[in-house]
Amino acid sequence: MNILKQELRMGRKALVAWCISLIAVLSLFMLLYPSISDQLEEFQQVFQSFPIEFQQAAGVADLDLSSILSFYQFALTYVLLAGAIQAMNMGVSVISAEVREKTGDFLFVKPVSRNRVISMKILAVLVQILITNAVVFTTALILVTLLSTDSYDFKLFTLVTMSLLFLQVFFASLGFFVSVFLRRIRTVLPISMGVVIIFYIIHLLNETLKDAKLGLVSPFDYFNLSEITKNMNYDSLNLLLWFVLVGLFIFLTYTLFARKDLPSI
Amino acid sequence: MNVIEINQLTKYYGKHRGIENVSFSVDRGEIFGFIGPNGAGKSTTIRALLSLIHPTSGSATIFGKDCIKYGSEIRRDIGYLPSEVFYYEHMKVREVLNYSASFYDNVDYRRIESLSEVMDLDLNKRIDDLSYGNKKKVGIVQGLLHEPRLIILDEPTGGLDPLMQQKFFDLIRAENQNGATVLFSSHILSEVQKLCGRVAIIKDGTIVRVENIRDMQKHNYKKFTLDYKGIIDVHHFNLEGITNLTVNENTLHFLFKGDINRIVERLQGQNLFNLLVEEPTLEEIFMHYYQKEDQP
Repeated sequence: MNILKQELRMGRKALVAWCISLIAVLSLFMLLYPSISDQLEEFQQVFQSFPIEFQQAAGVADLDLSSILSFYQFALTYVLLAGAIQAMNMGVSVISAEVREKTGDFLFVKPVSRNRVISMKILAVLVQILITNAVVFTTALILVTLLSTDSYDFKLFTLVTMSLLFLQVFFASLGFFVSVFLRRIRTVLPISMGVVIIFYIIHLLNETLKDAKLGLVSPFDYFNLSEITKNMNYDSLNLLLWFVLVGLFIFLTYTLFARKDLPSI
Repeated sequence: MNVIEINQLTKYYGKHRGIENVSFSVDRGEIFGFIGPNGAGKSTTIRALLSLIHPTSGSATIFGKDCIKYGSEIRRDIGYLPSEVFYYEHMKVREVLNYSASFYDNVDYRRIESLSEVMDLDLNKRIDDLSYGNKKKVGIVQGLLHEPRLIILDEPTGGLDPLMQQKFFDLIRAENQNGATVLFSSHILSEVQKLCGRVAIIKDGTIVRVENIRDMQKHNYKKFTLDYKGIIDVHHFNLEGITNLTVNENTLHFLFKGDINRIVERLQGQNLFNLLVEEPTLEEIFMHYYQKEDQP
C-alpha cells in the first residue's frame, strides 16, 4: 500500500488541476444554456444552413438543442476529449516516471516484485480516474438540475456522463502499454495528446463516413453520445471490444515490463 | 558459505557487449572489491545481481537463491548504493527515508536518525535543494537503514569530501563487523586497498583475475613525475623496479615498484623544479596484468 499512497501523493497536484479545468470547461458551456435557450431555434437553423459534411464533422448533424440533455452532450464532448488526455497522461507517466526521473534504482531494488509495483501504480491511476469522474458527475448533475426547466431523463444523463469513465480507463490502459512498449520516454504530454487527438480525428472523420469498421478503431466511437441517446444504452459489441482491448493492454503491460531491462543512469 | 555466486554471467545489450562470462563468488562476512575502469562492466554485473536487468546467459545466486527468480525475496536483505543517486524531487529527506523504510519489515526507525547524524545529513531539507554530496548521503542512509546482510556499493564515494568518505568507510566497516557482507565496486584502487580483503578485476566485460589485496600490494606501483631545471641524466635512474620510463623535454616519467627509499636516495642532489608521486591509474596497473598474461 505504501506505493499506492506515494503515487497518490505525487499525483495530487495534477489531479486537482485537471479536475478544476474539467469543472471550468463544463460550467462555461453549460452556463451558456440559459442565455441561448430562447434562441435555440435560430441556432439550430444556423447549424442546418451549413453543408451536411461540415455539420457531421463538427458533430452537430444530429444535434438537437431543444432539451438540456442534448445541449449537455454538446458540452460534455470537450470534457471527454480533455479527460481522455488526462487519463492517457497518467497512464504513460505513472510507470515511465521511474525511468525519466531516474528513481527506478530506488524503487526496483526494494523487496517488491515488478508485478506488484505495476499493480499499485495501475490502482493509483484508477483511484484518480474515479475521483475525476465523481467530480465531473457531481458538477454535471448540479449544473443540469439547476439549469433545466423541465424534467430530464436521469438514466440517459448517467449513461452519457459515465462514458467519461470508460474512455478514461481505455486511454489510461493504452498509456500503460505505450509506456512499457517504448524504450525510453522523455516527455509525456506530446505522446498522450498526439494519440488522443488522432483517435478523436478518426472519430470526427467517421461522423461523416459512418463506416462501421472505422467505427471500431476509435474509442470515441464506442461511446458515441448521439447513438447512446438513440438506443438508451451502450452498444454491446463496442462494450465487448472495450473490455477485450483494456484487458489486452493491461496484460501486455505486465508481461512486457517483467522482461524489461531498466537502463542504467 | 558464499553470499554471492556468479556463474558465467553474460549480458549483451543487442550487439553491444555488457559483460561476458563473469564468474566470481563472495564469502560471507568479507568486504569484496570489484575494480575496473569505467565501462568495464561493473555496473552491469551489479544491476544483474539486483535483477534490474536480465542476463543473456549464465546465472547468479545471492544467499543461495537465484537472483531473477527470487529477486524480491532476496532484496529484503540487500542494501544498495548506486553511483548516482536520484530521489523524488519534491519530497523531504525524511519522507524519502521513511518511504524507503516502509518497504522492509521490522525497521528500527531510530536508525534513520542515528545514521543521518553520523553522516551529518539534514532530514528536513527537500531533495531538490540538496547538493550532489548530500544526495549521496541520503543514498547511504537509505541503503543501510534496514540493516542489510549484503551491502552492494557501486562507486559510492563520488561527491563525498575526504572527511565524509572516512566516516562512510567507518560505517561500512562497522556494518561488516556486525556481520554484513560487502561488495564494493570502484575505479579507484587506493580506496579498494583501504577497505577490501579480496578484489575481482574486470576489464572490457571480462574478469581479469580475482586476487588477495595483500598480493596486490606487492605490486605497489607508484608513478613518478620529475621536472628538471637542467639536463636529465636518464642513467641515474637505471634501477631495478623502474618501468615505463619516458623523457619529455625537461620532464621524466616512470613507474616504480619496490623500496621507496631507493628512489629517495637517487633524488639526492638532483636539481629539480617539481616532483610528483601519484597512484598509477588503473590502466597503468592493468598493463601489468596484461603483460603477465601474455607470458607463457
